[in-house]
Amino acid sequence: MASIKDRYAIVGVGESERSKNSGTTPLHMALDAARAALNDAGLEAKDIDGFMSYSENDSCTAHQVANYLGVRPKYVKDIMGGGSSTEMLIADAIGLIETGQVNTVLIYRSMNGRSGVRMGGGGWGVDLLQTAIEGGSFIIPYGAGSPSQWFGLFATRHMHETGLTKEHLGHVCVSAYEHAQRNPKAFFYGKPVSMEEYLQTAPLSYPFNKHDFCLESDEANAIIVTSAERAKDCKSKPVYIMGMAARQCVSHAHYWKNLDEVAADYVAPEVYKMAGVKPEDIQVASIYDCYSWVVLRQLEAYGLAPRGEVGDFVAAGNLRMNGKLPTNTAGGMLSEGYTHGMNNVLEIVRQVRHEYEGTERQVEDCEIGICTGWAGPDIAGAMILRK
Amino acid sequence: MGETTKVGYEKPIPLKTQDNHPYWDGADKHELVLQKCKSCNEYAQPPGPSCTKCGSTDLCWESQGSTVLGKVYSYVVSYRPFLPGFQNDCPLIIAVVELEHLPQVKIIGNVLNCSPDDIQVGLPVKMIWEDITEDRAMPQWVQA
Ligand SMILES: [Zn+2]
Repeated sequence: MASIKDRYAIVGVGESERSKNSGTTPLHMALDAARAALNDAGLEAKDIDGFMSYSENDSCTAHQVANYLGVRPKYVKDIMGGGSSTEMLIADAIGLIETGQVNTVLIYRSMNGRSGVRMGGGGWGVDLLQTAIEGGSFIIPYGAGSPSQWFGLFATRHMHETGLTKEHLGHVCVSAYEHAQRNPKAFFYGKPVSMEEYLQTAPLSYPFNKHDFCLESDEANAIIVTSAERAKDCKSKPVYIMGMAARQCVSHAHYWKNLDEVAADYVAPEVYKMAGVKPEDIQVASIYDCYSWVVLRQLEAYGLAPRGEVGDFVAAGNLRMNGKLPTNTAGGMLSEGYTHGMNNVLEIVRQVRHEYEGTERQVEDCEIGICTGWAGPDIAGAMILRK
Repeated sequence: MGETTKVGYEKPIPLKTQDNHPYWDGADKHELVLQKCKSCNEYAQPPGPSCTKCGSTDLCWESQGSTVLGKVYSYVVSYRPFLPGFQNDCPLIIAVVELEHLPQVKIIGNVLNCSPDDIQVGLPVKMIWEDITEDRAMPQWVQA
């Protein structure tokens, strides 16, 4: 197989307005995000011949978005999925471009994640949950209906094995909220949290308190992927894809028994190999953060801090702006917004192309960044990007 | 809630399906019945249409009896009901329990009558049978 290293690029990123109650449809927001990404790239809608999206049945179709941009594309695709879907769809887009079927692909995620279907619970009947979720009959009757509880089972076990503490989870939250204070569009802009406040916050579902949860928002994000050659004609600075990988492991998506193994453990060696870099070459990161603990587990999986030393790594302030690995620098899903990971993709693109140059938001001199997706311990995806 | 819900029990009742009903039929009789793959001997919890390890459809069901011991492999303590019917059960302990006689099998359930201060990884527990309606029961755990 031909290496795709540096041969494809993200040339446009954009988002709709972010709110708790959009008062509009996912289609309207997707169109806003798509127009913003097109404008960023300096492309016309007709330049896009592939449209893709992912959703949990809570969005609009790629066909609709293309239609209302006035385009009749060659290819549309809607997949079911959450975290890591962005990485997987970018891989699909590259495959289609590589085989000459399309030239430029727009990928979006649009959701009324706060005012519509909420991932944190609500809006579903319990019998539906038992059938909709694989193995649902074995968890829903026990009151385990929230991702916080499923992820919490992993977190408790991992904390027990590695010595991670509540305070270590807190460092992930405090640094994310700190980043959000530099981002006026973040939900928790103007609402920082100190370690003292974090530790005093009552648990919602131990080991997590409300700060360990991602927030829920109404918004759409979009990105545009094309070949390195076409990227030269775009108005934006291209961000090149050095490597990407995805992987499924563990047999069940919700009923988890082996808490020692996560899909990211398998993705990591593949993504570094394809990109030809090592963990120590990474200068900025977007680490999927549906819960604080998920960040810690991925730092370990991607070799960004050794197992058993992840707690010390975050306690030393390494996720902060002047740390070794500024992470989720727009605030992430813990404090900026939540689109199943795509807002973190937008941010890493902006960092790597130095869009914030001259402001306190720019991670100085960063050239290589990693972006990870995590649907759960069962499915992960990651990509490494460069200037 | 579905119309099958009986008066008095407000929590979700385990839904029997084509693939899992022997487990819940066994539970109704206070018996732990596990699905097992005859090709690779892997236990399937939760059960499914075929083996998630080798793909085989050559499956059987194996009774583990009514007395089952285990230890807590992991847990969470929920202080908010994330599903209807659990409003009087908080703090609710949800645990993954490793079976003593089959450590490769792990079963998710609640540890009942246990203070959040007492729950910990490694805690010995035993299975009890909770009669939730006239004809339905489900396995739960208490400290051994
Ligand atoms: Zn098998």
